Amino acid sequence: MTVIVEVYARRLFGPAVIVALALIVKGYVDVGDGFSAGTIVGLAVALQYVARGRQRAETAVRLLHLAPIGAVVGLIGAIGVGFLGILTGEPPFTHAPAPGAKVIRVGTLELSTAVVFDLFVFMLVASVLIIIIHHLATRSRGEER
Amino acid sequence: MRRDSALPWVSVACAATAFAACLVGWRLGDVAFDIAWAPTLDLRIDFALDGLGALYALLATGIGVAVFMYGSAYLPRHLAKARRPQREASRFWPWMVLFMVAMVGLACARDLIVIFVLFDLTAIASYFLIGFDRERVRARGAALMALLITGVGAVAMLVGAVLLYQRHGTFSLDELIERADGGGATTVAGVLIAVACLAKSAQVPLHFWLPRAMEAPTPVSAYLHSAAMVAAGVLVIGRVHPLLQRSELVLDLLLIVGLASIVVGGLLALAQDELKQLLAHSTISQYGYVVTLYGIGGEAAAGAAALYVIAHAIAKSALFMTAGAVTEATGRSRLSQLGGLARPMPVLAAASLVAAATLAALPLTLGYFKDELFFAAAHDEGGFVAVMAVVAAALTFAYIGRFWTRLFLGPRRMRPRPIPAMLYVPVVLLAAVSLAGGVAVGPFAALAQDAAEITHGGPVELHPAYHVNGGAENIMTLAAWGLGLALLLMRQVRRPLTVGLARLGDRIGPRTIYRQSLHLLNVASDRIHAEEVRDLRNSIAAVIMPGGILIGIALATTLTGDSWDIGRVRLADIPVLALMALVVVAGIVAARDRGHVRIVLSLSLVGFGLSAIYALVGAPDVALVAVLIETVASLVFFAVLARLPRRTRTAGLVVRPARPRRRLRNPVIGAVSGLAMFALVWASLSNATLAPGDAQRQIELTPEAHGGDVVTVILADFRGLDTLGEITVLTIAAIGVATLLRRGRLW
Repeated sequence: MTVIVEVYARRLFGPAVIVALALIVKGYVDVGDGFSAGTIVGLAVALQYVARGRQRAETAVRLLHLAPIGAVVGLIGAIGVGFLGILTGEPPFTHAPAPGAKVIRVGTLELSTAVVFDLFVFMLVASVLIIIIHHLATRSRGEER
Repeated sequence: MRRDSALPWVSVACAATAFAACLVGWRLGDVAFDIAWAPTLDLRIDFALDGLGALYALLATGIGVAVFMYGSAYLPRHLAKARRPQREASRFWPWMVLFMVAMVGLACARDLIVIFVLFDLTAIASYFLIGFDRERVRARGAALMALLITGVGAVAMLVGAVLLYQRHGTFSLDELIERADGGGATTVAGVLIAVACLAKSAQVPLHFWLPRAMEAPTPVSAYLHSAAMVAAGVLVIGRVHPLLQRSELVLDLLLIVGLASIVVGGLLALAQDELKQLLAHSTISQYGYVVTLYGIGGEAAAGAAALYVIAHAIAKSALFMTAGAVTEATGRSRLSQLGGLARPMPVLAAASLVAAATLAALPLTLGYFKDELFFAAAHDEGGFVAVMAVVAAALTFAYIGRFWTRLFLGPRRMRPRPIPAMLYVPVVLLAAVSLAGGVAVGPFAALAQDAAEITHGGPVELHPAYHVNGGAENIMTLAAWGLGLALLLMRQVRRPLTVGLARLGDRIGPRTIYRQSLHLLNVASDRIHAEEVRDLRNSIAAVIMPGGILIGIALATTLTGDSWDIGRVRLADIPVLALMALVVVAGIVAARDRGHVRIVLSLSLVGFGLSAIYALVGAPDVALVAVLIETVASLVFFAVLARLPRRTRTAGLVVRPARPRRRLRNPVIGAVSGLAMFALVWASLSNATLAPGDAQRQIELTPEAHGGDVVTVILADFRGLDTLGEITVLTIAAIGVATLLRRGRLW
């Protein structure tokens, strides 16, 4: 890998994460959703692995080793949000606020449980991709170099 | 305290607490909850601690207390004998508690789907418990047999439930009982549910798994036979009985199977030498009584069945624990090697005498009343059933008498070692309960009466008592005792009959059929599997070939000539056509090229070309996801290529010359599946109309869901459950990658 690639990879990581976050934030009114945001983060991490090697990528981005936890939290969170409705006797994936009800806005972002669900999907997708990349980049002992 | 010594007592505490809670709940009445967790599918989580639920829940927890206490002393010795570490107890206790929980849940469940799930949960728990000694082949085989027979049976129950749902639109038993008529569908569903329950309760001809299940450690046998697994079958029959009794056919089936089980189980029990085998065959016979009573039907029979289950559970668990204690003390497990144990083990002898007397229906025990009610119900049914009832009771008297007298009377063969008190205290406790029931039957009768009201579907009056008035029941009781005593004493008459039956059963019995069919199934499955995974192409062909053929059949049968429309090419379509041509070229390259990297690159070209088409036809969401996924897929492809051994990597794709027979295979498979897909896409695009269907509705509803992007709203809201399923698959895929590459290490 040339130095140029490595420098670009390092510089691109932050913007890629910002793009991903932007996709989720505006996902509900515009193109993009948790799945594509998670994939973008996965690609950004993959670029780090390609450019800097597993060891350096994982020491540079300390959070990576939390990916298995992230996947589990994402899955449980998504199930939790999805089935929240049955506690009040409603079918699963009944999102709050209900149709017609008033939506809480933070700037242009509209808060709803559907967006929270999307966030958990994002977490899971990003984590799963990071886990797969990590495993592909790690060689177990006895494997031919 | 160490963990493996705390576990049993935690389990006992669980059972005791649950017992107390069930008792209080039953006395309070009206303990129920009902959650509609998937209303669009009419699925409900519906539990109620009604009479029947209370009866079986109290049995599961009460017998559970005794059995778990016994297990606390038994299991450490069992593990030490097999030289297994004591920490393996953690493979035992959680399953025991799950067994109990599943049984309590099943007792209270009132929705057919919930019943099915819990029914299978007891089977799964029993699988791990029967196969607890997993290093022994026989134990594993027995566990698998129990799981297969009861599990396949349970599928019949599911089919029955779906049949009922199709006809009446509900899985809820209460509503079904209200709506069901005596029509054909109800009869078929009733037979299917009954078959599942009969397999579970080890009734002829599906009884053979139960004696084999004796490979389990003794506490498991004691629990499985009295209050859990086997009891689950008659529990469900008792629960759905108001449905079953709509059809005479189902009742007759129950009656025939029950009587056959009584006789076969009883005769085989007489032939057994091994303690646990004798008791296992006795269980087949005893549940035969209950099934017979359900077959008779009506108020008296329902009450008798409920009381019978209580008395049998108490007696049978005590007898199993007796057998285990004797084997622990002497190291022997056969009647022919044992005898004269009454003097060295007086407490155990007395307690198990009470248990045996309960089963043989002697007065002063709870057992007397079970037979009194049984005879009353049988007498009302008519001559044949009444005679069979006497024969049944005589058989029970004979085999249980043989069990006790051969164990505890006669010449003493050996000096038993001292055993921990916890190995006979539970037996004494259960014997005390049975004696208490013999003196004051009131509370037991009240419980049985409550349960019978559910089974009968109406009010039931139950008055068991010592009626000594020379009535039919008295005469039948005396006749049964006399006949039983005669059977017990006349060894010469008994032996040829019972041993002959046992031999015959071994040679042509249903167990042989089971073994043969399992063998054939295994051979067939091995052949298909070997063919499918022989190489990668076969694996792929196994998916795309049947898919192509099915699509072909579907198109040939449904579509007419005007479905094939070529359409017009407009100016705006030219970029799309160019991209498609590129995709076709890339596809041909991927199929023909021999270099690894070129194949991956052309495959990603196919993907990116399609993404560009999505973007051109105005599907930005799909295009975005497609581009991202194509990038990930290409990267993963290269990462996998990098892991290939260096020689393979540099040599390119080596294509072995195909055998002549197989030379045509790849083109044929490719052509069939490819043409089918081509025809499918063509036909569906020819008929593409923007129907005012789902898509239109979802677009209209999107603003209501506070969204602007239809695709995202569909993913997160309208079709949220699908998304949840998909991300679950993604998680499983990650685990699969971890398993293949790193032997399951997650990081």
